Amino acid sequence: MKHVLPAIAAATILAAPAAAKEFTWAVTTDPQTMDPHAVNSAPVLGFLNNVYEGLVRRGKDMSVEPALATSWEPIGDGEGWRFTLRQGVTFQDGAAFNADDVIFSYQRASNEASDTRSWFAPVREVVKVDDYTVDFLTNAPNPIFPGSIANWMIMDSGWAEANNAALPDKENGNFATLNTNGTGAFAVTAREPGLRTVLEPHAGWWGAVEHNITRATVQPIQNPATALAALLSGDVDFINPVPIQDVERLKGNGDVKVIQGIEARVIMLGFPHEAEALKYSAETGDKNPFADARVRQAIAHAINVPAILQTIMRGNAEEVSQLVSPAMNGYSTALAARPAYDPEKAKALLAEAGYADGFSFGLKCPNNRYLNDESVCQAVTGMLAQVGVTATLDAMPVQNYWPELRADNFDMYLLGWSPGTFDAEHPIRFLASTPNTEKKLGSWNFGGYSNARVDELLPMIQSEIDAGKRQAMIDEAHKILQDETAYVPLYVQPLVWGARANIDLTQRPDNFFILRWVSVN
Amino acid sequence: MTETPIETRAPGRWARFRDSDFFYAFKRSPVALVSFAVVMLLVLSSVFAPLIAPTNPFDPASLNLMNGFTPPMEPNAFTQESFLMGTDDQGRDVFSTILYGMRISLFVGLSAVLFAMVLGIVLGLISGYFGGWTETIIMRIADVQLTFPSILVAMLIFGIAKGFTPVEYRDQMAIWVLILAIGLSDWVQFARVVRGATLVEKSKDYVAAAQLIGRSPWAIMIRHILPNALSPVLVIATISLALAIIAEATLSFLGVGAPPTQPSLGTLIRIGQGFLFSGEWWILFFPACTLLALALGVNLLGDWLRDALNPRLK
Amino acid sequence: MLSFIIRRIGQSVLVLLITGLIAFSMFRFVGDPIDNMLGQERTLEDVERLRAQLGLDQPFPVQYFKFLENAAQGNFGVSYRQGRPVAEILLERAPATLELAIVSGLLAVAFGIALGVFTAIRRNGVAANVIMATSLIGVSLPTFLIGILLIYLFSVELGWLPSFGRGDTVALGGWWTTGFLTESGLKALVLPAITLGLYQMTLIMRLVRSEMLEVLRQDYIRFARARGLKERTVNFRHALKNTMVPVVTVIGLQLGAIIAFAIITETVFQWPGVGLLFINAIQFVDIPVMAAYLMLISVMFVGINLIVDILYVFIDPRLRVDRAGGH
Repeated sequence: MKHVLPAIAAATILAAPAAAKEFTWAVTTDPQTMDPHAVNSAPVLGFLNNVYEGLVRRGKDMSVEPALATSWEPIGDGEGWRFTLRQGVTFQDGAAFNADDVIFSYQRASNEASDTRSWFAPVREVVKVDDYTVDFLTNAPNPIFPGSIANWMIMDSGWAEANNAALPDKENGNFATLNTNGTGAFAVTAREPGLRTVLEPHAGWWGAVEHNITRATVQPIQNPATALAALLSGDVDFINPVPIQDVERLKGNGDVKVIQGIEARVIMLGFPHEAEALKYSAETGDKNPFADARVRQAIAHAINVPAILQTIMRGNAEEVSQLVSPAMNGYSTALAARPAYDPEKAKALLAEAGYADGFSFGLKCPNNRYLNDESVCQAVTGMLAQVGVTATLDAMPVQNYWPELRADNFDMYLLGWSPGTFDAEHPIRFLASTPNTEKKLGSWNFGGYSNARVDELLPMIQSEIDAGKRQAMIDEAHKILQDETAYVPLYVQPLVWGARANIDLTQRPDNFFILRWVSVN
Repeated sequence: MTETPIETRAPGRWARFRDSDFFYAFKRSPVALVSFAVVMLLVLSSVFAPLIAPTNPFDPASLNLMNGFTPPMEPNAFTQESFLMGTDDQGRDVFSTILYGMRISLFVGLSAVLFAMVLGIVLGLISGYFGGWTETIIMRIADVQLTFPSILVAMLIFGIAKGFTPVEYRDQMAIWVLILAIGLSDWVQFARVVRGATLVEKSKDYVAAAQLIGRSPWAIMIRHILPNALSPVLVIATISLALAIIAEATLSFLGVGAPPTQPSLGTLIRIGQGFLFSGEWWILFFPACTLLALALGVNLLGDWLRDALNPRLK
Repeated sequence: MLSFIIRRIGQSVLVLLITGLIAFSMFRFVGDPIDNMLGQERTLEDVERLRAQLGLDQPFPVQYFKFLENAAQGNFGVSYRQGRPVAEILLERAPATLELAIVSGLLAVAFGIALGVFTAIRRNGVAANVIMATSLIGVSLPTFLIGILLIYLFSVELGWLPSFGRGDTVALGGWWTTGFLTESGLKALVLPAITLGLYQMTLIMRLVRSEMLEVLRQDYIRFARARGLKERTVNFRHALKNTMVPVVTVIGLQLGAIIAFAIITETVFQWPGVGLLFINAIQFVDIPVMAAYLMLISVMFVGINLIVDILYVFIDPRLRVDRAGGH
């Protein structure tokens, strides 16, 4: 790090070249590492997508497109996938890219020390066929494998080994934590963690250049009001997200523009399926009302989602009926209707379940994780109170939230889920499967929801090659989850980006900001 | 500060009070009269909030989300309801929420300052008067205390309280935690100033004389030394009261304040500042003005009180 | 005098140890660092393995002594979040906070004393009363709101000053970076310094005024006036000097408060100092950074207290006698 500091100081004093197209973008969370395999989180992967590349990448519409591999095809009868690599690609330090880097990056990313290991759970072996051909052999037929590794980034084996960074080091950090050497369109030229990161175009990039940026700075700004002020005053060119309530105002401002879309993240309510009794209830005694599907259905009917979207989300979100948004692969079109807002029906269902007088319970909610999460929970509390169910809202910062959920300290909780694979299989695996540490299933299924048929369907979905049959299985799983009201999906969180009026950019539904699609006018 | 006209009802006392210099000075000071009136108005309206407020904002069942973001004095587009100061994002009547929120703010502020003052004065007197190891220990504890920003103290107490409070009391927990946290981070100021004054007074002849005639240390401290330390203590206490209310707001900005379902004035401001740029100015403006009026009134009243109660300034 | 200082230093070390203990025990309530270190697709097995790697599965005393052992050797460990030595990160961030604190502190002391003296001398003047009243507005609103309002007015509406950050900085020597030498650096300093210094200024001003008023009533001041000394001489040479005992105490305390309040100001203005680092560390449960920050702050506070105590002895000779063991 020491060598970087003087360089930055010098760079900031020097006047920028005349034709320079400088671009500054504000992020709420600084990417915590520059190591593409150390942390599997959106801020890190989203940022590094500008610097590193995978064999495949996602296009503007999220479709899987060639990157470091020019083509791929299934091997035999679902034994795996063969990738043909792109020739003439160089890393930012000038080294050439070939199959050895792919094998090395596989070993690195699938190592115990890596956070991206789960991507390679289906992989049995990776074989170098020749310098530009690599085979990925899977345990079972895996139709979605190429798309599932779109965020797996290739690192230069020589560079990593020379700098003692052959494995990621989450605990102590290493050379790759602060330095980068990718094949991507931009190279990191200065990095001050938490303060700013500077990117400049990679002159030897293989792709066709669409952007006109000469220098880009990533600037973390935590407080939403400050970020908005910075955008309005022109101190930054781009912020993400724009606070929902400010969207209307910004639209009327000629200096800035708002780019909106639907994110992959579904916001839902979860229940303590497994719990013997409620934890935060005075009168339910040793009973768990939420174990009764009718009570869960009553909750679904009691919540006026359109009203939440109308006021709190200001018409910037869409309601959803299942664990994935309509933009995802595997969305069940036939099951698009969400339980209608019907407080009378909710009361009737509660009475039927033996809770005509309602009951009280504790609702856990994060207050800095999802857009307006606390306000939404507050509104939910009010709506439930109107059908006689009294929730005590306990909203907390996300760093306290996950430990509470893991410790089962909830009677109901708010959760947002964005499938990294953009496929419906993802939430079924993480949220709907019976928790099983050994098989790495249901690891975010805090309530312990369990359904034998869903568990049976999951491996079938994972290995089914035929798209139609696969969709039928996913539909069946979604149907079960809906009928049992395993979760109450509420809405799909919107993407709201704000930029200065002279910036052209493309918004990708996974909320990744892709610098090579930006131009400054 | 207990000598307010309201509390002294006994005729004899009242007559004496009415004829006192103190009351005379009060009547003659427009600043004192106005700030007293403002503070009293705010305090009384928060005490009688359930009678004055058109709605009960702490009852979630009474809220209609569709009333959200109604501007002041204008009918809502969906429900046609109209509100004096508009509504917030939850459709809560801002006016009612301010009245209820002020109750919480005042309660937290007064309790925290009282707690800090008593603790600080006692520890300051003890350490200044006895000196030696007692002083060392107390002042080192003060050092440790000062080391921890109040924010962190609050987070710590929050965390611990969460672990130990029974489930049914969690609702009220936040308030007590705030009092404890703000009080604990404030006592050092009182202690340091009282100790400083005690060190000075202790070496004076009258203290030696009192010691000589065998008065107990506590009597000396409270009767003789404490009155001399009262002036700076009052300055600090005044600012502390306003500041305790504001500290609560700051803590809520950092996510450890009163819960949003039962907001204090500070929580309302924290929520309202999110709407500063979006055009819903009333969600921030009215709570901020109320806080300003309250804090300003308390401070001005304190200013005047300090001058009036100080015999040496006559 | 010397033995007094030595004794105080000994106590200071004890304070640091206790601080460390308290800081450490509070971390278990701040949250779980693991969630921020592993992504959404982590398994419980991953969680347990990382916990063991970080030594978080060890009993509390073991963790604490390990921390002390390392800290004594100047090793504060490696940030969970950044994967870099904490000492390095703190050194990198310290100049920003110190420069901000120095500027706000100087603003507060200079304006506080000047306005305090002014309002005391012109006790009944219109200007003095206006100053007293308006100064209160600044302490009657929460810091974060004042900061946001200043940003709104001066950055968004008027466009005069930057809305966040520290502007361009110049490296001095090995690790110090300063914003004092560039135009954007100085501009960036204005709003945060006002936000941070406002409360301290008001407090100092009110205290100076109140002490001044008392001193001006004292016999020796009346006597000095009667002797025909110039009003200026009386006010500044005699009166102001004698108000300094409590004022120095409070300034000492407020220096500490400035560092603590910097947390809020730095968050609002995205000022890249240790306060912002600390808030981030809480957010991401970066225990080594939190621990080191608290130790750093304790060292600073203990130092300030030590200096204030010594200044006491110099300003008020009676205390010196007292220290020496009585009359």
